[in-house]
Amino acid sequence: MSTISAGVGATPIPIPVDSRPVKGNHPPGMSRTCDTTGLPVCLTAERFIKLNAVAAVVFLLVGAVAALLLALTRWPAVHLLDTVWYYRILTAHGLNMLIFWIIFMEIGILYFACTSLLGSRLAAKGFVVASFALMLSGALLTNWAVFFTGKADVLLTSYVPLQAHPAFYAGILLFAVGALLGVIAFFTTLYVAKRDRTYEGSVPLVTFGATAAAIIAVVTILHGAIALIPAFTWSLGWTGVPDAGWYRIAWWGLGHQSQQINVTAMVSVWYLLGTLSVGAKPLNQAVCRGAFVLYILFINLASAHHILVDPGVGASWKIWNTSYAMYLAVLASLIHGFTVPASVEVAMRKKGHRKGLFGWLFKAPWKNPGFSAFFLSLLIFGFIGGITGVTLGTQQINIIAHNTLRIPGHFHATVVGGTSLAFMGLCYYVVPLIFRREYPMRWLARLQPYLFGGGILLLSMGMSFAGSYGVPRRHWDVEFSGAQFAAGFDAGAHLMLGILGVGGVIAFLGLLVFILQTVWAVFLGQKIENRPMTPW
Amino acid sequence: MRENEDKHEHLQDVRQKLQESEDDHHAPGTLVLALVLLVSFAIYYFANWKALADVWHVR
Repeated sequence: MSTISAGVGATPIPIPVDSRPVKGNHPPGMSRTCDTTGLPVCLTAERFIKLNAVAAVVFLLVGAVAALLLALTRWPAVHLLDTVWYYRILTAHGLNMLIFWIIFMEIGILYFACTSLLGSRLAAKGFVVASFALMLSGALLTNWAVFFTGKADVLLTSYVPLQAHPAFYAGILLFAVGALLGVIAFFTTLYVAKRDRTYEGSVPLVTFGATAAAIIAVVTILHGAIALIPAFTWSLGWTGVPDAGWYRIAWWGLGHQSQQINVTAMVSVWYLLGTLSVGAKPLNQAVCRGAFVLYILFINLASAHHILVDPGVGASWKIWNTSYAMYLAVLASLIHGFTVPASVEVAMRKKGHRKGLFGWLFKAPWKNPGFSAFFLSLLIFGFIGGITGVTLGTQQINIIAHNTLRIPGHFHATVVGGTSLAFMGLCYYVVPLIFRREYPMRWLARLQPYLFGGGILLLSMGMSFAGSYGVPRRHWDVEFSGAQFAAGFDAGAHLMLGILGVGGVIAFLGLLVFILQTVWAVFLGQKIENRPMTPW
Repeated sequence: MRENEDKHEHLQDVRQKLQESEDDHHAPGTLVLALVLLVSFAIYYFANWKALADVWHVR
């Protein structure tokens, strides 16, 4: 007998494991049944989910150390790094956090969504192996270029005519090709599962969301190729300098959309964590799926909001893309922002927590790090990231915010407080269910989402308000030390930069706890064999 | 008489289904959270327009 862990406060549901056959098209001996959820697990997928998760956490650690150094430099009272290392570390931070950590995780999520949820084997194994090898080599090569050549301090955007070492572009291109192969393996598995009829009816919502993320990923990678291949050949001296205006437009087709893969994957993870932690079911399948389709159709056009003050493109183009198309993508987020917590509320009310308007929320399993990370991610993403994002994406308002710290204040709330925190919450289930290891010191794991979420909230608010004072982003010394004339910002801005620094330190501690606990659990944690995971 | 009873049964079934449907979508707390989000957005959005108007005068 086994149980389905429907979260804290839920009665475990007994399921006779032995009498439940493993569904699907798995070759003999290449699958197992999860003792906790009852889902079939393809062993090939399991291996590559593990590899992607480990690689993701390693690059997260690199990005996190860089984040701490940056926070301690932007805090004027500390001002840790010198000017060269500030921009070098900023480049490394952006790449490791926004690209490597998140996309390794997302490829793992794609493999889970197309195998366990559909009862299928992972198809195109050659592509899967090549995908991981290329992604890993690409990420290592880019990091080598940044840290060891001293010729790649071009920041994440790498706007031409800033030129980086060829290995910088080559690494990103290798990584992108690897990610594309992973996405192709995902689509091939969807086809094989459909062909072999491993499931009935439509694919589950989480798989549908993952499919939306995969479609956006293909468009994103194509934009990356358009921007970075000419930059790569230029860095080798084979071609002339690419047109800076075209580069910026194409690059943001990569830069913005890669964050929208994150958003789409994050929303899928929200639905998954809602189900795993409180047994929530999507309120309305058609509406939720429609919202994912809105992402596919309009998120690409919304990338124009990054170049709202760019003199190379016209006002009509900017307004169409950001004041019309972007709002349709925002509508999708508003729909998910309602249906996800509503599904949790409905599930909690069904369990009898009906007192008042928020009785369900107070009684929610806040000690379950899978739930707390998910719900805090939802709140930070919506209330901080969403509100600031729509406002900053308005062409007229953008003129007073562009290139200030308000911009990173916004996207740290979406990508870090939103996506990264949700992915951390997912790990609190991935490690017990896929690695089959228990987390050590569970009290610390329960605390971690609050520590990290609270730190990011402070960091993001500090950045946003400092930016409102006009403090620029990507600036090593806002005090202009040694300038002929008095410059710099007043006490209010300094207070906000101090809050940024304190928030960065707290978030780093939360992240360190997550990494140490996860690494400990994966390699030294108590094994889970022939039994369900211990419920959170 | 029998026919009426059948009709009544049918109506009971509809009511029950409607009741189930209502329960399945009954999320007043989330609705309040969504309204708080919208009000917060409206305040932040118009505060930014005000800030813009203070900086860039239209003559």
